[in-house]
Amino acid sequence: MNEGQPAGLGVFEVALPGIGHRYTLPAADGGRVVVVIHHSGRSDLYVFPPGASVDQPPSATIWLTDDQARRFGAVLGGAYFKPAVVADVETVIGDLLIDWVTVRADSPATDYSIAELEIRRRTRMTVVAILRDGATVLAPEPAERIRAGDRLVVVGRQEDLGGFLRHVVGPGDG
Amino acid sequence: MGDELLALGGAFLAAGVVARLGRRIGLPTIPLFMLAGIVFGPHTPGVAFVEDPRDLALLASLGLVFLLFYLGLEFTVDDLVDGGRRLAAAGGIYLALNIGGGLAFGFALGWGAREALVIAGVIGISSSAIVTKLLVELHRLANPETRLILGIVVIEDLFVALYLAILQPVLSGTQGVAATLTSFGKAFAFLIVLGSIARWGSGFVGRLISSDDDELFTVCFIGLAVLAAGLAEELGVSEAIGAFMIGVVLAASPSADRIKRLVLPLRDAFAAVFFFAFGLSINVSDVASVAGPIGGAVILTVLVNAAAGLAAARLYRLGAEPATNVGLTILARGEFSLVLGAVATAAGLDGRISPFVAGYVLVLAIAGPLLASRTPWIARRVPAPLISSRR
Repeated sequence: MNEGQPAGLGVFEVALPGIGHRYTLPAADGGRVVVVIHHSGRSDLYVFPPGASVDQPPSATIWLTDDQARRFGAVLGGAYFKPAVVADVETVIGDLLIDWVTVRADSPATDYSIAELEIRRRTRMTVVAILRDGATVLAPEPAERIRAGDRLVVVGRQEDLGGFLRHVVGPGDG
Repeated sequence: MGDELLALGGAFLAAGVVARLGRRIGLPTIPLFMLAGIVFGPHTPGVAFVEDPRDLALLASLGLVFLLFYLGLEFTVDDLVDGGRRLAAAGGIYLALNIGGGLAFGFALGWGAREALVIAGVIGISSSAIVTKLLVELHRLANPETRLILGIVVIEDLFVALYLAILQPVLSGTQGVAATLTSFGKAFAFLIVLGSIARWGSGFVGRLISSDDDELFTVCFIGLAVLAAGLAEELGVSEAIGAFMIGVVLAASPSADRIKRLVLPLRDAFAAVFFFAFGLSINVSDVASVAGPIGGAVILTVLVNAAAGLAAARLYRLGAEPATNVGLTILARGEFSLVLGAVATAAGLDGRISPFVAGYVLVLAIAGPLLASRTPWIARRVPAPLISSRR
């Protein structure tokens, strides 16, 4: 039997009547991870090694309570820690893009205000928040001055991100 | 009152302790609750918590009501539609082989036509509870055949509803064509009315009993379930089908998941009483006297399930091991067989049916999980021509 309906982004979903839902996710090494979410809240993880046929038993199985599964999901989703290599990871919802970038001392925007930079007019992107010294400036005023080390949360269209990075962050990447 | 509480407490504890011991060696709980009833019942020497099974009759029937109510709650048409025609074919083959085999076996026993109809259901319908538990415990939820197994179980559940609707008028022993047709008519009218409410009126029923407060909500939906069961019984349709249909109605309401969560502990507790009470009525020497029919029925069930598993696996082009898994997982017999045994006893059918059902469920309860956990070994011995070659 097939692995179910595509649920987007390479994930396959199938309903298991009386038990819950089953999601099959491909892994980078050619293996696959199967997640079964029970109606009871319990989650099972089945790990299949690369090249495993459909008849082969999983190489590991583990089950988590609802609470553990949510924490596990949050860890994978980067809520606790984002690896340096994907620090500029983008989230795309429809054609809307949310990204966060870090301003350096040598960035073109350092020590200028948002109004002076004309960020919205010139890049068509909007700074929705600034993370600075562990605090958050939500919906910053146009007069807000950008400093080195600020993390800017920006929203806009995917195609405008490159122009924004050149204008605000400068050469290299965010 | 003190006596009755002592008896009930003893019954719960005995059922719990026996089932715990069985869990250690991987046995399902349902038959062990029944076994506890046999061991601690009036027919076996030693402690008897309850002298007369009728003392537990009302609580046991609540167990039956909650079992069927929960089954109805879990039932959604989507699960059937998702499977498509291939699943319908697999389920149809499964039912035809199992119910057909059971019916032939029932007539071969020569206990009577009504008895044969009951035995067809006893032998033909697997235990949703045990099958589901087995799949989880054997770590087979990720397997390719699991959706197929659960799909067949859903089709069986639907069949149970129709079967119970037909069975009740037959068992009540009405004489004459007109009377029989009337009781069939009543049964199907009941199904159609509640089915229509499930299709179009479940939002209304849901709002009628809904409350943000868990306490009020629980009291209301229990009232509705028990009332529907009683109403069905009064109409001569069987309380089981009433409880099932009201479950189907509420399954389509927005609060279905919440009801499931709230009713689950009630179902577990009262169903245990139901299985225990069934055990109370069983005399071990009666079981021994029907050992021959039990042995025959077990062998027939294993063969028919193996055949049905192979046939379903061919439809889905599955290999030897998934094919064996289908046949042996779905072999488990439990709550429905016991429900039918109780229904038959209540209708005053041949007294051999209860001990037959008890012995049959016990043997398959031990053999089923044992066989299902050893499918890799068994699958290697399945003759290659029986397995689909196009994979």
